[in-house]
Amino acid sequence: MYYFDGSSRRWTSLLTLFCILCLLITPAVSVKRENFKTCDQSGFCKRNRAYADTALSESRWQAPYALDPSTVKFDKGVLTGTVLKKIINTNDNVRLPLKITFHESGTARVTIDEERRQKGDIELRHGSKARKERYNEAEKWAIVGGTTVSAGAALNSDAEKGTTRIMYGPGSKFEAVIRHEPYGIEFKREGETQIKFNDRGLMNVEHWRAKVDKPAEEQKEGDEAVVAESDKEAAEDESTWWDEKFGGNTDSKPKGPEAVALDISFPGYQNVYGAAEHTGPLSLKETRGGDDKYTDPYRLYNSDVFEYEMDSPMTLYGSIPFMQAQKKNSNVGVFWLNAAETWIDITKSTTSANPLSLGIGSEVTTQTHWISEAGLLDVFVFLGPTPQDVIGAYGELTGYSQLPQQFSIAYHQCRWNYVTDEDVKDVDRKFDKHRIPYDVIWLDIEYTDGKKYFTWDPMTFGDPIGMQKQLDDHERKLVAIIDPHIKNEGGYHVVDELKSKDLAIKNKDGNIYEGWCWPGSSHWVDCFSPKARDWWKGLFRYDKFKGTGKNSFIWNDMNEPSVFNGPETTSPKDNLHYGDWEHRDLHNINGMTFVNATYEALLARDKDEDKHPVRPFVLTRSFYSGSQRLGAMWTGDNQAAWPHLEASIPMILSMGISGYPFAGADVGGFFGNPSKELLARWYQAGAFYPFMRGHAHIDTRRREPYLAGEPYTQIIAQAIRLRYSLLPAWYTAFHEASTTGAPIVRPNYYVHPGDEKGFGIDDQFYLGSYGLLAKPVTREGQEGQDMYLADKEKYYDYFDYWMYEGPTTVTVAAPLDTIPFLMRGGHIIPRRDRPRRSSGLMKFDPLTLVVVIGNSGDAEGTLYLDDGESFNYKEGAYIHRRFSYQGATSTLTSEDLAALPGKKTNEYLKQMEKVRVEKVIVVGAPQTWAGKTEVEISEEGGKSSSGTKKVPLEFHGQEGGKAAWAVVRDPGVQIGSGWKIAF
Amino acid sequence: MKATEALICLKFLAAVYAASDAPRPRGVGPEYGSDEPGTSACAHLSSYSPQTPDAANATLALPGFYCKNKGHVPSYVPFTNVNDGVCDYESCCDGSEEWDGVGGIKCEDRCKEIGKEWRKQDEVRQRSQTNAAKKRKELVAEASKIKIGIQDRLQSLTTEIEGSELKVKQLETELADVERREKGKVVKPAGGKGGKMGVLIGLARDRTEELREHLVRVRDERDSSRSRLQELESVLSTFKEEYNPNFNDEGVKRAVRAWEDYEAVARDKGSEPKAALDRDLEELTKTDKENGLDWDEYEAEEETDTDVLYAFENYLPPSLRGWLDHKLRDLRLMLIEGGILAASTDSGAESKHVTEARKRLKTAEKELDGHHKDLKKHNEDLADDFGPDDVFRALKGTCVSTDSGEYTYELCFLERTTQKPKKGGGHTNMGNFVRMERMTVDEDLPPNGKGLGSGERIVMKHENGQHCWNGPNRQTTVILGCAEENEIWKIMEEEKCIYRMEVGSPAVCEGVNGGGGKGAGGKDEL
Repeated sequence: MYYFDGSSRRWTSLLTLFCILCLLITPAVSVKRENFKTCDQSGFCKRNRAYADTALSESRWQAPYALDPSTVKFDKGVLTGTVLKKIINTNDNVRLPLKITFHESGTARVTIDEERRQKGDIELRHGSKARKERYNEAEKWAIVGGTTVSAGAALNSDAEKGTTRIMYGPGSKFEAVIRHEPYGIEFKREGETQIKFNDRGLMNVEHWRAKVDKPAEEQKEGDEAVVAESDKEAAEDESTWWDEKFGGNTDSKPKGPEAVALDISFPGYQNVYGAAEHTGPLSLKETRGGDDKYTDPYRLYNSDVFEYEMDSPMTLYGSIPFMQAQKKNSNVGVFWLNAAETWIDITKSTTSANPLSLGIGSEVTTQTHWISEAGLLDVFVFLGPTPQDVIGAYGELTGYSQLPQQFSIAYHQCRWNYVTDEDVKDVDRKFDKHRIPYDVIWLDIEYTDGKKYFTWDPMTFGDPIGMQKQLDDHERKLVAIIDPHIKNEGGYHVVDELKSKDLAIKNKDGNIYEGWCWPGSSHWVDCFSPKARDWWKGLFRYDKFKGTGKNSFIWNDMNEPSVFNGPETTSPKDNLHYGDWEHRDLHNINGMTFVNATYEALLARDKDEDKHPVRPFVLTRSFYSGSQRLGAMWTGDNQAAWPHLEASIPMILSMGISGYPFAGADVGGFFGNPSKELLARWYQAGAFYPFMRGHAHIDTRRREPYLAGEPYTQIIAQAIRLRYSLLPAWYTAFHEASTTGAPIVRPNYYVHPGDEKGFGIDDQFYLGSYGLLAKPVTREGQEGQDMYLADKEKYYDYFDYWMYEGPTTVTVAAPLDTIPFLMRGGHIIPRRDRPRRSSGLMKFDPLTLVVVIGNSGDAEGTLYLDDGESFNYKEGAYIHRRFSYQGATSTLTSEDLAALPGKKTNEYLKQMEKVRVEKVIVVGAPQTWAGKTEVEISEEGGKSSSGTKKVPLEFHGQEGGKAAWAVVRDPGVQIGSGWKIAF
Repeated sequence: MKATEALICLKFLAAVYAASDAPRPRGVGPEYGSDEPGTSACAHLSSYSPQTPDAANATLALPGFYCKNKGHVPSYVPFTNVNDGVCDYESCCDGSEEWDGVGGIKCEDRCKEIGKEWRKQDEVRQRSQTNAAKKRKELVAEASKIKIGIQDRLQSLTTEIEGSELKVKQLETELADVERREKGKVVKPAGGKGGKMGVLIGLARDRTEELREHLVRVRDERDSSRSRLQELESVLSTFKEEYNPNFNDEGVKRAVRAWEDYEAVARDKGSEPKAALDRDLEELTKTDKENGLDWDEYEAEEETDTDVLYAFENYLPPSLRGWLDHKLRDLRLMLIEGGILAASTDSGAESKHVTEARKRLKTAEKELDGHHKDLKKHNEDLADDFGPDDVFRALKGTCVSTDSGEYTYELCFLERTTQKPKKGGGHTNMGNFVRMERMTVDEDLPPNGKGLGSGERIVMKHENGQHCWNGPNRQTTVILGCAEENEIWKIMEEEKCIYRMEVGSPAVCEGVNGGGGKGAGGKDEL
């Protein structure tokens, strides 16, 4: 800390300067809307919205799709058939093969293709070399499991005429009722309809057609004549079928119009969630109908959106086309497996329920309209009934989140840029000096020699190994950035190899694509190609990427891909990838393929690691369904402004319920300088981001926590240390996510799916399964926080044990040094209270158990521990315990949850032998303990197996609103063994 | 408060003691009178940790784990570092803080070699410090010498001013006298500027001189505008090269396009300055004499026949002429003074005598003015802040530099800081010296002692350097630490175009003798 003479003067002038800068900057800080398409500027979106308008406004409208009953076959859980699309004004039909797969997990998948494209029986314009089929490889990237076909699914012979019925799912409680004409499906659970396909007749598969060049004038008149005679509304607007222009770029669209669209309704469901990533509320807003609604559909088209705006359906860096609907005690979902540009319209309609059911009021139905530019119409249906059932089934399909390196869930310190190796070492020393823990320091693009990845700037990073050695001394890590754009400069080995091996993305003519990014002229590695991935893996070997050590990991940025001079700052859609797929077909998956290649590379970077791979850590900006398997994501380039802090919470919650819980936002805000209050509040919120990283733009002032000055440094240090002390709980939550797909920070609806009042809440959340409820302050000057307690249960303030009783809304004091943070009764929370320099140095620290007694008098919690870095846990090297407190018997026990011991179990347990419980704190301790002075402890195995020992108990009675609590200091029991403490 | 809270933790520690049979070293606790064993169990008792009832508002009785460091200097290791599996040899050379051997760590006692090395270095540091102190004394002496020099100069200036003032007065009188005499002259001696032609020439000369001066000024202005334009154009072309199209800022794009248009037009017009024209200009701005035009020559020539005729005195024999002249002059003067006769006004300018007298006066006045200026400057200089003991007076203008990355950085004491690209190219002013301040720093001292350490340090603020694209004017804060030589230790860009320079100098070794070196071990921090 620096104390200046006459510092007040200095600060005043700084403040003045800052204010002036603010005035200058504020109006400029906003997204450049004109750089990104609206639905109206995106041909297929405009066409399909118009199609919907026609369909919904015309009573005579009849959807032109019918399932030909003669083609329907059902065999071993798979139904096949052909949907016929009637071409207006002709007697022609387009044949669309339909396949419905019923999975063992209870998930159904509906896939519609187009026969002519499938067979390659079409002609491409402009002599294009692109593939003719609809893109059918999205599943190759997104789907990793859960596709075992159900043996129990069966045709129901009771089907009404014109329908086909399939019973499936656990206990055959699910049912799909397929209507033949017009084609549509109703998905039911226990006889009740949950999801409807094509209920509103908005389904649209744009079939291939040849371009007919008619003289413009004639065509118009002719059309009118035809239209007058036939169905006027059905006249199609061809203006957006062919080449499309936007922002000076022309998309050649060699395959013509090829969009797929479908309406999916959720009768009785008022709330839908998901469709990440967007800045708006967790519960998605309506996108049509004026007033408080958005005007454009939610858009999914991974883009580098500079200075993105709040509360908007605009697209961002990543896409997860997975949506859940929630009503009281029921949750269902759909996963739209399509990697092309996608738009989703959401509207809600209120209908009076069955007029015969007297007394039941009106019911809200959420209607969604999914529109993708190309590819298959491919939808997975999940019928719940709990949020976890749906999220779990989705996770089974797309993979659970990676069990991360322990360090990666601790605090990360980043900045664009730490400018020299000495700078890095200096920051490292200062954290120690100020006793603030951190685990990882990051290097943004400036470490490279002229933005050439896999090189170091010799002037500024002359000794990267020495730098990493210093970090390693305290178990700290380095994360360096590697982006997919490869500088186009002669003599740079990476670009030379990329060219000579022909591994780059190509332009529409099949030549190497050249665009602009950070290094100037660049090429992009095409990670859809297996050869490119192999090559990419080789680049990370320690002997190839010289200057990297074992404590170095990777950050993948700009992988949408970001192309500065490309349309919408990304790749042209008619660029070609491996297998001659057009970029338009797979755009949203592109980012994931790049991270995938990096992940594979980090598994093993030398011979030793070939045999014993380590858990990679990769941070990505762009993502798709499945990216959760590969590492963390962050919400990109946010701003140091209160609304961005506020928005970060629903955004991260949304990632959590979308199967990608390892998410965070830049703590402090990327662009601009945060006030100290904002910085402090942001650390308090950031301590609850699954991925917690401070980051700052190159033009901002330095803001490492120790620079803030008191009381801010202390407040920030407390927030970071809170994160560290709760790391055992966080790690256990990550383990849960990696085995069940459960979110790590959980919104109210997920935890209390029966509580309708909480369905819209997205500013408070629970951490893991621990009943830890946080609501960080996200508004300036706010000193109190209203917290919603959903259920009839006791809640205690985490910091002073003040008691609250739900269900209600309580106001929790929240001065700047306080985080509104409660403990719900009935849980046991594991902590490690000793502050260390990094999480790696806490590995052998003892644990503290906080038993929070609720209304039932009982409490329960789990703990998962392993070495935090290797894959040895797959061979049994872990500890997994359940702690239970029984009110009736006043005993706390530890029981093993581990599966059968593996090859490495014993070795690990031996290593952890000395790790014990150093403290048991009982919050809400019964008043009857008032006179109690000791507890009795028995431990399985070892020397104490024969008998028991007594350890003192310290009781603190209730004081005003603060709960009674008791503490047992050093019960001396091992964390890895079974034991019992009798109070 | 302190005692009770510590006691809670102590109680726990006692329990730890009882419960475990692991061998535990005991820290010394004479300060507290208790057996404070060394564990990290109480490390969370800190204002930096979350405040929970079992650890609220607590502070620790001891600053840390006590390392005896036999063979070296004893010290406290922060509790957070005890039994974390890392040997903290920097502060605990005997490795005793890792007594529990977590994760199998064994920290051997290295005090012997570390202590030896430390003592060796300490000796070097001490020696260096002694030298530094000596150097500072020299600097102070030097500064004092400079100051005395200034004071002496001030003294002599005062005398000189008196002399000059006297001289000015004399010359004024002389001038008045000469003027008076000249007025009485009927006929101006040769060389004077008489006649209409003389007036014309005088006017022409003045006019030419005036034009020339203006031309020079306009040329200077043009040159400075041209260089500003060049600078601006180079800023814009860099801007065009380096702007980030990803930011998709319409304003920026427009600016780039406008620049490209401008550049194209400028290229067509060929705005390059014409060397030939410049040479002409150069000729024009030379003084007339250099151009071979000697006005005096023309002036001196001029004397009309009539004038000569009237100067009949010249035809008389010298003796008579002298007498007559005298009489006539007296008469004339009498008449003039009596208001009967007008003084001779026909002369285009003054006589040579008057001009010369005036010239002498002017010179004397100029000299006096110079003396006054000197006096003011030296007085201000004496009043300026040159740091304690006036020591920086001796360093003013002394420059030191160091290489860092692709630049060489230079500090010229009390003048400016500069960034010079190694690859060549323009130097960048990183700020001009504005004032001295003091700042409290808290840095670890490297073993060689070349660092700021902890405490109050003298700081030199440099402001208003070259402006930064998309940022402020460059500023540099130079923080000074005691060292044997003037040298730049470290240069950092703390934020965009705001630099921090850590600089060693014997000038700031005031009273540090022995003080700074002790802290080198960093034993007492927590």
